[in-house]
Amino acid sequence: MHLRRGSRYLLTLLTCLAVLLPAVVIAIDEEHPYEAASSGYFRDQDTVPGGYNIYRQDEKARLWGGPVSGDIKRVSFQADAHLGVTGYETRSCVSCHEEQRYSLHTSRGQTSCVQCHRGQPIAGLYHYYSSMNPIRRHAYICAKCHEGASASFATYVVHEPRPLKRDTAESFPLFYYAVWFMVILAVGVFAVFLPYVTLWGVRELIEMFGKDGGRNG
Amino acid sequence: MANIKRFTTIQRLSHFVLILTFMLLSVTGLAWMYIETGWGQGLANLFGGYIAVLEVHRITGLILLAGFVLHIGYMLYNINWQGLPRSILGPDSLVFQRKDWRDFVQHLGWIVGLSKEPRFERWSWWEKFDYWAVWWGLLIVGVTGLMLYNPVLSSDYMPGWLLNIAVWVHRIEALLAMAHIFTIHFFVEHFRPRCFPFSATMFEGSKDIEHLRQEHPAWVERMEKEGRLSDILVPAAPVPLRILHFVTGYALIALGVFLLVYAIINVTYLTLAF
Repeated sequence: MHLRRGSRYLLTLLTCLAVLLPAVVIAIDEEHPYEAASSGYFRDQDTVPGGYNIYRQDEKARLWGGPVSGDIKRVSFQADAHLGVTGYETRSCVSCHEEQRYSLHTSRGQTSCVQCHRGQPIAGLYHYYSSMNPIRRHAYICAKCHEGASASFATYVVHEPRPLKRDTAESFPLFYYAVWFMVILAVGVFAVFLPYVTLWGVRELIEMFGKDGGRNG
Repeated sequence: MANIKRFTTIQRLSHFVLILTFMLLSVTGLAWMYIETGWGQGLANLFGGYIAVLEVHRITGLILLAGFVLHIGYMLYNINWQGLPRSILGPDSLVFQRKDWRDFVQHLGWIVGLSKEPRFERWSWWEKFDYWAVWWGLLIVGVTGLMLYNPVLSSDYMPGWLLNIAVWVHRIEALLAMAHIFTIHFFVEHFRPRCFPFSATMFEGSKDIEHLRQEHPAWVERMEKEGRLSDILVPAAPVPLRILHFVTGYALIALGVFLLVYAIINVTYLTLAF
């Protein structure tokens, strides 16, 4: 071929890329942390007890500063999470779950608890057949309103912890540090500029009404 | 009275588009943030309810980002690439230089009466700060805004819990930007005694020479020394246009102050958990 040397190198490089790139893309695809969890079928395959390790996502999230669940309560594995709670029938959800009272879903979307935590008895989050189980939560709960919700989407923390609270540094580190960073940035800007411009205004007032008539302080 | 030209038509137009999109984003964003309160619902109803207000917010955000991209193109086009790095380190450049830091310290000294007033060149340190603050703000609200534009789609490319963070970062940066514009920017450009009651430089594109001799003496002197002062002298805008600038400017200032005051009054009714 009558190609210049530069063109030949370029051609070789492009060929290599053409061969290698799809492989890389496939590799990324296989690495996708949520693929394993997102079939959304009920009863067919991924609901077999023990068939899915619910902690796998947790490990991934822990690595990147995402939300990690603390100790999972025993009742979260029960078919009826509220079995044996005295006076359950007559009480409201938030009379016990006080911390879960507010979220963007309730305050802005006007969603009620049972629209997501649905059906009586309410199953524990990690019960094999619970619609809230992370293996199918996206399909059975989120997708009711958020059409096409994926398992990744369902890792959005609806009942998010208070971002500035010390505990959040452990339960959702990136959230804690990112929000603190923004708060310090915002407060810092005003801590510098508010006193600065106030004094500045005073200085110019003095200049206007001062005896030197205003030229050069 | 003669004026000195300070901004080109494109720059003035850019700033005006920035004002309009920023204000629309502020109104629609605060409407959504305060949707639990009567005030927020009132703002949202102006746009036809909260679903519509969010849609307006999203589309306006895209327009602003498109403007940002255009501005970057404009900036790249205007850089003198042959003369780098000196071409962006001259007195006409908005890039921060060592002089700005010295000016800042001296300005502070002047304010408290310890030193003489710094002699600013074409851009003072706070004008440069205001320019770059838009970059930093737009990058933060822009990236988080795009993440939140379609959460179902974006969570295909990132874990969904990143959206928890995006919401808060977007919110805090937006509040910072609004509060900064509606207090500090308005004060420095319009309400401090030398500029009161209104400075129309960014609307007219020019400012009278006496004011600039006081605020940017080194620049005016340089222009005189290089004999270029007459090139940048322009007549002041006609009176009707100045009235229009004044009315438009004050309408926008009033809107900003209204948003700020009502946002503060209503903040206790929000169920935001810090």
